[in-house]
Amino acid sequence: MNRDAMELLQGTLDVLILRTLAWQPMHGYAVSRWIRERTEGTIEIEDAPLYKALHRLERAGCVSAHWGLSENNRRARYYRLTAAGRQRLKVEENSWRRYAAAVFRVLEPA
Amino acid sequence: MTGRLFQFGRRSRDMIRRDVDAELQFHIDARTDALVREGATRDDARAQALREFGDMDDARRYIRRMDTDIEHQSRRRDYVSELRQDLAYGIRMLRRSPIFAFTAILTIALGVGANTAIFSVVHGIVFKPLPFPEPDQLVRVWSANPGANSRQAPVSALDLDDWRAQRTQFADIGGWWFADGGSGIDLTGSGDPQRLSVAFVSPGFFPTLGVPSLIGRLPREDEMVRGGDDRVVVLSHGFWQRRFGARQNVVDSSVTLNGEPYRVVGVMGPELRFPSDRVEAWVPYSTIPDASIPRIRPVRILDVIGRMKNGVALPQARADMNAIAGRLAVTYPEDANWGEATVTLLADAITGNVRRGLVALLGAVGFVLLMACVNVASLLLARSTVREREVALRLALGATSGRLVRQMITESLLLSIIGGAIGVAGATFGSRILVALASGQLPRTSEVGLDVTVLVFALIASLATGVLFGLAPALRARRSDPQVALREAGRGLVSGRGQRLRTGLVIAEVALAVVLIVGAGLMTRSFIQLLRVDLGFRPANLLAVNFTISTSRHTGQAHRLVYREMIDRVRTVPGLVSVGAVKNAPFRGNGERIGFVPEGLSLGAGEQPPTAPLIHVSDGYFAAIGARMIEGREYNEQDGALRVAAPGGEPVFSDTPSLIINQTFAERHFPGGSAIGKTLSFGENRVPIIGVVNNIRQTTIEEPVQPTVYINNMMNSRVQVTLVARTRGEPLAMANAVRDAIWSVDREQTITSITTFDQIVGEAVARPRLLTVLLGLFGTLGFVLGAVGLYGVLSYLVSSRQREIGVRIALGAPRGAVLGMVVRRGLVMAGTGTIIGLVAAFSLTRYLRDVLFGVTPTDPATYALVVVSMLAVAVVASVIPARRAATIDPSIAFRGE
Repeated sequence: MNRDAMELLQGTLDVLILRTLAWQPMHGYAVSRWIRERTEGTIEIEDAPLYKALHRLERAGCVSAHWGLSENNRRARYYRLTAAGRQRLKVEENSWRRYAAAVFRVLEPA
Repeated sequence: MTGRLFQFGRRSRDMIRRDVDAELQFHIDARTDALVREGATRDDARAQALREFGDMDDARRYIRRMDTDIEHQSRRRDYVSELRQDLAYGIRMLRRSPIFAFTAILTIALGVGANTAIFSVVHGIVFKPLPFPEPDQLVRVWSANPGANSRQAPVSALDLDDWRAQRTQFADIGGWWFADGGSGIDLTGSGDPQRLSVAFVSPGFFPTLGVPSLIGRLPREDEMVRGGDDRVVVLSHGFWQRRFGARQNVVDSSVTLNGEPYRVVGVMGPELRFPSDRVEAWVPYSTIPDASIPRIRPVRILDVIGRMKNGVALPQARADMNAIAGRLAVTYPEDANWGEATVTLLADAITGNVRRGLVALLGAVGFVLLMACVNVASLLLARSTVREREVALRLALGATSGRLVRQMITESLLLSIIGGAIGVAGATFGSRILVALASGQLPRTSEVGLDVTVLVFALIASLATGVLFGLAPALRARRSDPQVALREAGRGLVSGRGQRLRTGLVIAEVALAVVLIVGAGLMTRSFIQLLRVDLGFRPANLLAVNFTISTSRHTGQAHRLVYREMIDRVRTVPGLVSVGAVKNAPFRGNGERIGFVPEGLSLGAGEQPPTAPLIHVSDGYFAAIGARMIEGREYNEQDGALRVAAPGGEPVFSDTPSLIINQTFAERHFPGGSAIGKTLSFGENRVPIIGVVNNIRQTTIEEPVQPTVYINNMMNSRVQVTLVARTRGEPLAMANAVRDAIWSVDREQTITSITTFDQIVGEAVARPRLLTVLLGLFGTLGFVLGAVGLYGVLSYLVSSRQREIGVRIALGAPRGAVLGMVVRRGLVMAGTGTIIGLVAAFSLTRYLRDVLFGVTPTDPATYALVVVSMLAVAVVASVIPARRAATIDPSIAFRGE
């Protein structure tokens, strides 16, 4: 993986995580499954960068974490979107949409 | 902020490690379980989960680092927000009890302010390095005559030249002649004629100091020697600004000094005020003609500084100078007795005689600060008892005790910083007042001020104060048991521990007060002794006019006629009772030291004659200053009238010279008989004694009067004159008339100073007065703080034990017994404190020894007085609460809450 791709992936991953957590607080494993299911395997996602992104977002104040019980009664670390995270999601989502729209305008013949 | 309430506790490094492992483990386990449910074997499932995860070690490291960052961030945030909470809370608490806040802040402001003011003075004078490059290399050098026990004598110009030529351990050596009001030069030409206060300096002077000129240059070596182009002058910064409006082009211009043109070569920077604040210009010593100060070995007049070479220590410097002085003593008969030299660090020489007093002051004022701490601590303690319920409530609600201690300390620091800031503001005025009180009797006062060091000192003093007085109540809060406190607070039952702590504080306070009062008492007694000293003259209504008769305008012997004429003219001024003149007025110089052989004494081979100061006086001088002739008579107008003597040089007398000696001289050299008619020999001259005058304090008030010889100025003439006039009314009111009379003789005569002897004596006692006033002030403060502390604790005791006392009275305890109980309690505290204080004072006041006069540091009368007054104050402070206790209504014991 070269450096630029990593950067791109990071940015993408962040917005995906934020979007996912916007539904409800969930633990890392659930986030991982959710994204995989929604992308239907189109994007190859490893869990290591996902967890790194979660903790990075926690440091940035976009998510907060607390320990809770999972569906099968095990201790799991739950992440919840903060107000700052919601704000960030809105900004990133907009820029992604504009980016994608621009790309499509080029790809689709007029 | 509400989020904080549900925050988990702080996470340690290990906890973060465990949390990260648990989180990742959960993920792997969950994924494995899911795959197993889909039909994979457990091993395969686990392997796939790990594969899907990617680089786990890297992720683990990364996550740990993130979490550690998060933890630090949140700690910082918590700390800041808690500090803000504590401050807001503290300010609210202070607002709610303004009297407490006012008292505490005022006490701290006093303590910190007094300390800052004193420290700024001590720092400027004693601690600050001298404003010269490498000040540690600078030393003061004196000629020493071990036989006459004269260790710090000025140096002759010729000896200085030899010292400089033969030096091995010194980078350079230089000397100066400066006498306040004595060494001067007349500036004429542009503007009013003016007497400049000048330091006459030798060639090594400027190189030794090592300070460059601000503009222009320093004189060259060849401009500072006889025969050289030595009519040059260096201006002080202050004089340059005053007289020349700080004009740059003053350099290389010409000024007229003593009627001759001098070239201004340079101007020094404002920080160079050496050897005195009052120096207005530096002129080569070589310009002084032999007629004024003969350039011969026995004329020892120069003060000398040297700069030790790099790496040379004081012992080597001493050895060097002693070796040179020893050689000179062998070579020159005039130096035979002067075979040694005294070398001390310049800093020590400048501040040596004031250091002890100032450091004693600093110690005393430190005690005041300690007392302020104790008082505020005591206030806080009393308040913390009131606040016990609040503290207990917060503890019960889950506040940690560490958090409470921080809250308490924050409040204390808030108090101390506000108090400290006010104190520092006060100290800026305080240090100026101190310097003014010293009436120019302290060295280096121009360097006194609030600089960074002083401000840092004030800050540290404030913070230390805050921690010190905040600690006791804070620690108490930490130990308080919420259950007990909640139950008992507000019910008037005090825990024994709080009471003990308060008692301890009061004892400490009384002890500190006793030390302060003993210091103040000793200093006051010493000052009274000083004022009681018989000066030998009456300073009231005595005017002193200081001037120097010009020998350049009154050449040959003309200056004697001018001297005579001036005295005669002033005597015709109405309103004057009597008029005389002297070269060195009391406390304004020591005269000239001469060697003599009293009649009847035969010197052994190689034995040197005794020496004594010689002071030049006019006829009628002793009557004018109110001295008393013990035997014989003083000079009258016929003595030495219009007789001619060779100018300057060794005392050369008119054909019928005569001397007056003081009482000590008569007792020393002519014991058991009359000295009148006896003679003193000066070389070939035998001069008869015509009178014995009572002892007149000359050098300082403290020093015993030396055997002194007086000679008629008409017989052995000097041009430096202090004219003294006893007036009927206010002396300064006569100043103009006296000056006009002098000017009627010589319109161009410059006047160096006009002052009163009350002023002169005031300056002579300025240092001890300053010490006495300040120590007295601190002592009074100590007294008041101690009494207030005692009163406060006893009143608190009485009000908190109202019920118990009520029960006792109800059970038949006589009111007298109740009164006695409280007073006894106060006396026990005061007595314990007094004993501790006496022991401390006994060991501390020896530092005052050097500044005390006529009193020993262990003066029993002072100690006894202090004990009596401290206990008396203790009784008064105890009786008020005791009476309240005795009048408690017994029914209070049965009343509900």
